[in-house]
Amino acid sequence: MKPLRIALTKGRLEKDTVSLFEKMGFDCSAVKNKGRKLILPIGENQFEVILAKAADVITYVEHGVCDLGVVGKDTIMEHGSNFYEVLNLGFGKCKFALAGPKGKDFFNGYSAKTIATKYPNVTRNYFESKAMDVRVIKIEGSVELAPLLGLSDGIVDIVETGTTLKENGLEVIEYLCDISARLIVNSVSLKLKKNEIENLVELMEKAKEDK
Amino acid sequence: MKKYNKITPEGTKDLLFEECLVHRHIEKTLSSVFSLHGFNEVITPGIEYYDVFNSDCSGISQEVMYKMTDNHGRLMVMRPDSTMPIARLTATRLHGLPKPIRLYYTQPIYRNNPSLTGRSDETIQTGIELLGAQGIKADLEVLVTAIEAISKCVPNFRFELGHAGFFRVLSQQLSISDSLREDIRCAIESKNYTLLNSLLDTLGDSKEVTALKTLPKLFGGEEVFNKAAKYFTDEKTSDMLEYLHKLYKSLMQLGLEDKIIVDLGLVQRNDYYTNIVFSAYAEECGDAILLGGRYDNLLESFDSPMPAIGFAINVDAIVKILLSQNRDYSVKPADILVHGETGFEIKALNYSSNFINQGIKCEMSVFETKEQAVDYAKIRGIKQIAVVGNNIKKINLE
Repeated sequence: MKPLRIALTKGRLEKDTVSLFEKMGFDCSAVKNKGRKLILPIGENQFEVILAKAADVITYVEHGVCDLGVVGKDTIMEHGSNFYEVLNLGFGKCKFALAGPKGKDFFNGYSAKTIATKYPNVTRNYFESKAMDVRVIKIEGSVELAPLLGLSDGIVDIVETGTTLKENGLEVIEYLCDISARLIVNSVSLKLKKNEIENLVELMEKAKEDK
Repeated sequence: MKKYNKITPEGTKDLLFEECLVHRHIEKTLSSVFSLHGFNEVITPGIEYYDVFNSDCSGISQEVMYKMTDNHGRLMVMRPDSTMPIARLTATRLHGLPKPIRLYYTQPIYRNNPSLTGRSDETIQTGIELLGAQGIKADLEVLVTAIEAISKCVPNFRFELGHAGFFRVLSQQLSISDSLREDIRCAIESKNYTLLNSLLDTLGDSKEVTALKTLPKLFGGEEVFNKAAKYFTDEKTSDMLEYLHKLYKSLMQLGLEDKIIVDLGLVQRNDYYTNIVFSAYAEECGDAILLGGRYDNLLESFDSPMPAIGFAINVDAIVKILLSQNRDYSVKPADILVHGETGFEIKALNYSSNFINQGIKCEMSVFETKEQAVDYAKIRGIKQIAVVGNNIKKINLE
């Protein structure tokens, strides 16, 4: 039987997941001293970890080449859809927010607003649910720049502390929802490797509880 | 202007040689299973009116359908599913036929998938529909045919059984808005326990709420039925559970202990399923390779109410699995190359038909000289050449 393969989102979620695995008693030295390797064993080959960008974690799990994945709810909301989302891991917490220039009433007036964002699908769904027509512009980095330069009326982005917003004269207009890291599972894997996966999920849930 | 005359559209591809061989082999194997079970083949148009798929219970959203208009401006779609056209034709052209009606099909379906996801927009499906019959005999016949079909192609499969009724009945007993019901369904579908609990916690404490919370966890082997019995106590759901258990035990008699699994949380299917639902999985494939179920209300939307059950097998997925298994599917070279000398073309063609009639694979040489023909045969791995002139001379190249 092949070991379970877990895709981790590189960076902070990877570190948080590794410390969770260590709490569960797995040897994670291979991941910590990974060098340039992208596929790494955990424990005594109990499972394999692969490191990928957030959206790719979803792609690998959806296609079933990885059984499980750790990825932020923000990425799930943007890239959805076809997998099981079995556990809220509790770390990587932040919020989706609509923000705009301080002191300006965003919802005032009848002209259609322009929104800059890294998350066009999330933005579109949010304004659709408000029955508001907006123009969405996709921006790849520092979205805060767009309203400052006059490209957009507001932004939709993830907000942790709000410091960046404050320092650039922006403020939160409305929070869309909470975000945290989630454990996702390929739907066929969960059926074919039920016991293995359920054991692992249970262990992770326990380790997450006793902090 | 850029021309796209050298590429195929995203989500489609040309099938070559061994892919075709395996495709045809699978199609032939499955067709023969279906036809030996008394099912008759139908082919429905590749293009249908949008209205066929636009009923409330189709479950196919308009953005996944390839659309165009006919010359009267009517909206048409490339067939996104085969069950609805078959329901249409049964309700109309086969209306007067004695029931049950057994049909099978092998044809592509088209879905406009989001780009760059690596999914196919054109998928060949084969499947059966048993129309105008209900009850355990009809259900078992289709289940057993599905298992027989899958095991002929992918021996290492898992077969899953569920029931679309649990969620429907439980959620109807709660007085909730349609949008909340859809949110709950999505949470069950994605086995998102956190979200499901937080949605249901607002509804207070009742038998139905507890049952819905447990629904996504109720999957596995036969133990699921005992676990579920606690939660499904009202008449409707306990009857469903009992029925499903009966089917499960019947299938056990086929000696498939480790292959059959149960999932009572299957709520993701096309909305036309009303009753039992089932699917098959293989280790090498991230999606189900077979999907099916009972759809007793669908024919009503074509004004000819009758119970029906059926399934579709994803032939492309099975071909991909077989080709990845390192078995030798390479296309064999011709057994013999026939080279006619100038002036003896018809004699050579006549000579080749002797082989062809015996089922011997025979290629014609299109070359000027015998030497060129020999070179060609060597490159292609053809082991024998017949040179047709005044006499017929055979050359062995082994």
